[in-house]
Amino acid sequence: MKRRSVYILVCLVLSFTQFSCDDYLQEKPKDKLQYEDAYDNLANLYLNAVASLYTNIGGYSDSQGLQGTGRGVYDLNTFTTDEAIMPTRGGDWYDGGFWQGLYLHKWGVNNDAIQATWEYLYKVIVLCNKSIEKISEFKALHNDTELPSYLAEVRAMRAMYYYYLIDLFGRVPLVVSSSTPINEVTQNSRKEVFEFIVKELQEAAPLLSETHSNKPGIYYARITRPVVYFLLAKLALNAEVYTDNNWIDGVHPDGKNIYLNVGGKQLNAWKSVEAYCDSLTAFGYGLENEYDTNFAVFNESSVENIFTIPMNKNLYTNQMQYPFRSRHYNHAKAYGFTSENGSSATIEVLRTFGYDTGEVDPRFDKCYFAGIVYDLKGNVVTLDNGTVLEYMPWDVAVDISNTPYEKTAGARMKKYEVDETATKDGKLMENDIVLFRYADVLLMKSEAKVRNGEDGDEELNSVRSRVGAPLRKTTLTTILAERQLEFAWEGWRRQDLIRFGLFTRAYSNRPQLPGEENGYTTVFPIPERVRLMNPNLVQNPGY
Amino acid sequence: MKQHRVIRERISVLCLVFLSMQLDIIAQDIPSSPADSLITVGYATGNKKNVSGSVDKITEQEMNKDQITNPLEAIRGRVPGLTIQKGNKGTNGPAALDAVRLRGTTSLTSGNDPLIIVDGVFGDLSMLTSIYPTDIESFTILKDASETAQYGSRGASGVIEITTKKGISDKTRVSYNGSFGIASVYKSLKMVSAAEFREIAGERNISFLDLGNNTNFLKEIEQTGIQQNHHVAFYGGSDASSYRVSLGFMDRQGVILNEDLNNLTSNMNMTQKVFGDFIKCELGMFGSVQKNHNLFDYQKTFYSAATFNPTYPDHKNTETNSWDQITNASQITNPLAWMEVKDHEVSSHISTHARLTFNLLDELKLVMFGSYTNNIVENSQYLPTSVWAHGQAYKGTRKMESLLGSLILTYKKSLGKNFFDALALAEFQEETFTGYYTTVTNFGTDKFGYDNLQAGAIRLWEGTGSYYEQPHLASFMGRFNYTYADRYIFTVNARADGSSKFGVNNKWGFFPSVSAAWVVSEEEFMKQLTLVDNLKFRMGYGLAGNQSGIDSYTTLSLVKPNGVVPAGTSQVVSLADLKNTNPDLKWEIKHTFNMGADIALFGNRLLLSANYYNSKTSDMLYLYNVSVPPFAYNTLLANIGSMRNSGTEIALGITPLKNKDLELNINAHITFQQNKLLSLSGSYNGESILAPEFKSLTDLNGAGFHGGYNHIVYQIVGQPLGVFYLPHSKGLVSDGSGGYTYDIADLNGGGVSLEDGEDRYIAGQAVPKALLGSNISFRYKMVDVSVQVNGAFGHKIYNGTSLTYMNMNIFPDYNVMKGAPEQNIKDQTATDYWLEKGDYVNLDYLTVGWNVPVNSVKKYIQSLRLSFTVNNLATITGYSGLSPMVNSSSVNSTLGVDDKRSYPLARTYTFGLSINF
Repeated sequence: MKRRSVYILVCLVLSFTQFSCDDYLQEKPKDKLQYEDAYDNLANLYLNAVASLYTNIGGYSDSQGLQGTGRGVYDLNTFTTDEAIMPTRGGDWYDGGFWQGLYLHKWGVNNDAIQATWEYLYKVIVLCNKSIEKISEFKALHNDTELPSYLAEVRAMRAMYYYYLIDLFGRVPLVVSSSTPINEVTQNSRKEVFEFIVKELQEAAPLLSETHSNKPGIYYARITRPVVYFLLAKLALNAEVYTDNNWIDGVHPDGKNIYLNVGGKQLNAWKSVEAYCDSLTAFGYGLENEYDTNFAVFNESSVENIFTIPMNKNLYTNQMQYPFRSRHYNHAKAYGFTSENGSSATIEVLRTFGYDTGEVDPRFDKCYFAGIVYDLKGNVVTLDNGTVLEYMPWDVAVDISNTPYEKTAGARMKKYEVDETATKDGKLMENDIVLFRYADVLLMKSEAKVRNGEDGDEELNSVRSRVGAPLRKTTLTTILAERQLEFAWEGWRRQDLIRFGLFTRAYSNRPQLPGEENGYTTVFPIPERVRLMNPNLVQNPGY
Repeated sequence: MKQHRVIRERISVLCLVFLSMQLDIIAQDIPSSPADSLITVGYATGNKKNVSGSVDKITEQEMNKDQITNPLEAIRGRVPGLTIQKGNKGTNGPAALDAVRLRGTTSLTSGNDPLIIVDGVFGDLSMLTSIYPTDIESFTILKDASETAQYGSRGASGVIEITTKKGISDKTRVSYNGSFGIASVYKSLKMVSAAEFREIAGERNISFLDLGNNTNFLKEIEQTGIQQNHHVAFYGGSDASSYRVSLGFMDRQGVILNEDLNNLTSNMNMTQKVFGDFIKCELGMFGSVQKNHNLFDYQKTFYSAATFNPTYPDHKNTETNSWDQITNASQITNPLAWMEVKDHEVSSHISTHARLTFNLLDELKLVMFGSYTNNIVENSQYLPTSVWAHGQAYKGTRKMESLLGSLILTYKKSLGKNFFDALALAEFQEETFTGYYTTVTNFGTDKFGYDNLQAGAIRLWEGTGSYYEQPHLASFMGRFNYTYADRYIFTVNARADGSSKFGVNNKWGFFPSVSAAWVVSEEEFMKQLTLVDNLKFRMGYGLAGNQSGIDSYTTLSLVKPNGVVPAGTSQVVSLADLKNTNPDLKWEIKHTFNMGADIALFGNRLLLSANYYNSKTSDMLYLYNVSVPPFAYNTLLANIGSMRNSGTEIALGITPLKNKDLELNINAHITFQQNKLLSLSGSYNGESILAPEFKSLTDLNGAGFHGGYNHIVYQIVGQPLGVFYLPHSKGLVSDGSGGYTYDIADLNGGGVSLEDGEDRYIAGQAVPKALLGSNISFRYKMVDVSVQVNGAFGHKIYNGTSLTYMNMNIFPDYNVMKGAPEQNIKDQTATDYWLEKGDYVNLDYLTVGWNVPVNSVKKYIQSLRLSFTVNNLATITGYSGLSPMVNSSSVNSTLGVDDKRSYPLARTYTFGLSINF
């Protein structure tokens, strides 16, 4: 009797274990959402497939973001040129030779920052591919009228990121689907990708709004038609570089022989630039009366800014780290911040601006701190020991350790108005970061005209007279110099030098590398670790 | 789904088969002897003799007796293959959680901690803070596959079972244990003094700000730590019931200012028999509240204290009423200002369990077990405006709840010389992890600290958040053990585990194991050799799954908030994928083979035990680097690589003297361990994933080290985990102006390049090749002396502290080490110049105890013991840095590198009292 009751008890117990394990082991996340909940209606689709991509345009960690953070696209375009230098100051800024490597063009194929930049640019492209697929899926089931413009916006963003990729890396794989298997990721030639970018942008443009996106409104900080036209102008301007599949053979295409289809007409590269620039003028952009308005704390009202990174210290995570990186410790302390005492102007910059001569360009004072520094109340900034802080611009070099001006050498970054209410040592400021602006449109037009054999004086001098600089005759040399004067610290220098064929020349503290005259350094190496994981990728010549 | 349904059916059938056995057998009386003590090995209760795997049991007599405040210290050095690294963050502070490794690191996803079981309640290392060491009756450590297989995936890295003291069926007894100790620093780094500082700056014509003082900042941040422990326990019972209640209190101050810990623990359990012997009911509860004051960023603390200008004062500036800072030295702050940073943690833990044992038949038992654990950790931090511009406060809470239920059916039967026992188990576990946090900045005043968050003006979007995670585990197991004539032992385990963390088709894994043992000393021909008390050979092979180190929800395509964007006219939070997903994620499997022998001679006066193990982890779970494009992010959690661990453990115990008045016990064990990362490449989804050849694990920090060539310890396929891959320095070479730089060798021709794959070579490994533990105890009448010695050999340590502090380039913004001006090195390139051997022998503690004779007062006092202990007596080593005991076992960002993080060396002197009424 006892045994039988025992058997029954045991069987009952065992039967408890027969309930469904499948349901028990199924995951039910609560702090994350499944795709069905994120892309279910038009508003969510817009927010999570389109707007969420814009969190990648700015950034707060290294190599993320088009501008504002270090060791990314901006640094690769700035510290590798004669515009800026990060001198090694004793125990600071050596960083294993990273900054010296950039300045001397000895960055190496295993460079972490170059790899991180490659991965950042492609991350956004793969996310764009996913967004395009999500929007297309939604479009197959709904026919809201906004959907084509959403698709166009994401395609334009993807094209913009491919533009940065061919600008930095030359030959890159063209990936347009989020489910491409690894073995199908193969390199395309620079010209192929260039043509893809131009086609995508031209197809996207008509579907986008004409609104000035730097102003608050429903298109704030978004890619609108003016942004796309600006990019097309840039692409056409650099067409000689981007259609050159072999950049070390000494033979470069001629812009007059490269044709783009602009508004139904076949125009050569330079004429295309002019056409797109004229469209931007037609959209109502113009030069601000004051240069400073574009970089003010509340620069959303500027009529000159075309594409900006939105900044809001309480909400957006985008940071602007460059002034923080540049100022001397006591200089920042006078503003209530800390800083890193690093980036400085080079000797070439000082010469271009005419520093220490009687005819220094008026923009020098807007872009640089040199000599004695004052805080926001007009008091002189002093060092810990009471002596006056004086920046010594001429004393920069690649390594200034143990020199008398180790900490104070170099003219530092000004440009953006100091936001006294900024947090995180000034990195979270209200001033929107300027990526594209109208002064560039005028100089692009001037340059295109000169290259096409016409006169570009009008545009160049309108930029010069805005700041009160004396008028100049327009030649390729004066245009290049004007671009340095106007766009100091804006991240265009490398592209400009390459276009003018001057990137590989020697300048102060930078001898030309052996073999560099063939131009192999105008393109960064495909990161070696990426090539290891995808053997389809062939290294760029010279590396 | 068919698979586990089949398994369930099979187990039911197995159980029913046993039930139907109608044999009338009398249970055999199993005699016990020292090497034969009754132990609970996993779910089975048996004798050590009947165990076919390697099991170490440490009872109270064998534990490190005195001045232990963490249960793990009780077994440090006693168990071969067990490494206890003080502090898993490399810190030696009082609140540091130890990092524990049993037989090395076998997984890359940090699922390497052994499973901790306290009275049947499963938990992790943090649960140990709730157990007062005096409440522990024994530790059972399981290492071999067939033993850990009983615990399935959670036991893949070994199991440490703790049994707490239970009540006795006797009149109520009371016992009190207390101790009082002092911790003080006996050695710290020697930096240049203020006078020398001025002299050198004067000689070299270097200007600096001289505030006229003579401060030794390293000394200024030290304090003498006072420590006390108190513990009271009541226990007693009757024939049918027994109980034990205890309360413990620990208060320890560290040797750095403001560091301290106090811990209140409580442990209650009771047993009651119901319906005669039919049901035994056990209830238990243990809990603790621990409050810690930690050092916030101890690397910055020690770096600042060592390199701050010694001419600065040790008090606030009288004019500004704030601490003077050196604006040029951006990587450090005034260490005394840093002491005002608050980092407080309160951890509350409660664990309850109940076990009902039904003695259904003589041979058949049914156990129903349930446990509930709730752990809440609350963190509060405040960085004042003197060290962090505008101040910053952080408050966060992490909660962990765990609910476990299991059903076990056991059957034991003896048929003549045959003895077998069988076990069937069904178990379910649900853990819930939730938490929330917020960060506030822009404080007008420091006076509120973190106690009123409204005093801060700005709360950034990314500084506030909350999370939720709830993984589930389900398991079924069958175990069968057969012993013939106490001589031949054979065990088979079959376990199936299901985890919610894996992909839809891979949730279940099947992990069998088998082991056998031969007790040679029971053979007839051995019975004549009275010299040999025990001789046993063991061998086993098993599989174990692992999933404890990974997060949930990685196999689903999910989106998460990724930022705030302007959308329309407002700012809204947008969602996006933030990682690559792998829907095919599955179990990581470890295959282990082990064999060993135990021998006891001369009446158990000489014990020798040797074990060999060889395990291979395959389908290793890890964040592999993948190619971007076509992936969006550059890492993917997948099962691809493999790793091998092997080792030999030899344990020796000698008792040369043993009589009434004199006793001498020498225990020593040595472990030789090898580890090799076999591969990180394989295929995922039909594509091949190739691992980068070199991946850095540990980097140096500090001024001038950000990015660039500061990688020291690497993960390289084909090498042990954690190797030094460095450029070779041929020595110092003059730089032409009186200074010296490191002369880097051009190992592969083509000029000197510090890139990975260029002029670097594999210079050694970070994990020791051999571990030594030894305990010598001597007793004369009522006085006993005990010494514990530990050592590690065969590894290297990178002296990043010296690399930084010997570089004269940082002078005068940062202070330098004594001897640096004379050497005049003006370089901080990381080369093998500062890679040193890490071999050491450490005298862990010395205890002298006196068991006071209480025969005269036996009516009141059962026993009384006084003791005196000195901890951290001395370290014998060739390493030139402060201490060779850096992190040499946990594979994380601090492995193998001494980088300005070491605590000053301190000794603790403790008086202890233990009295039983």
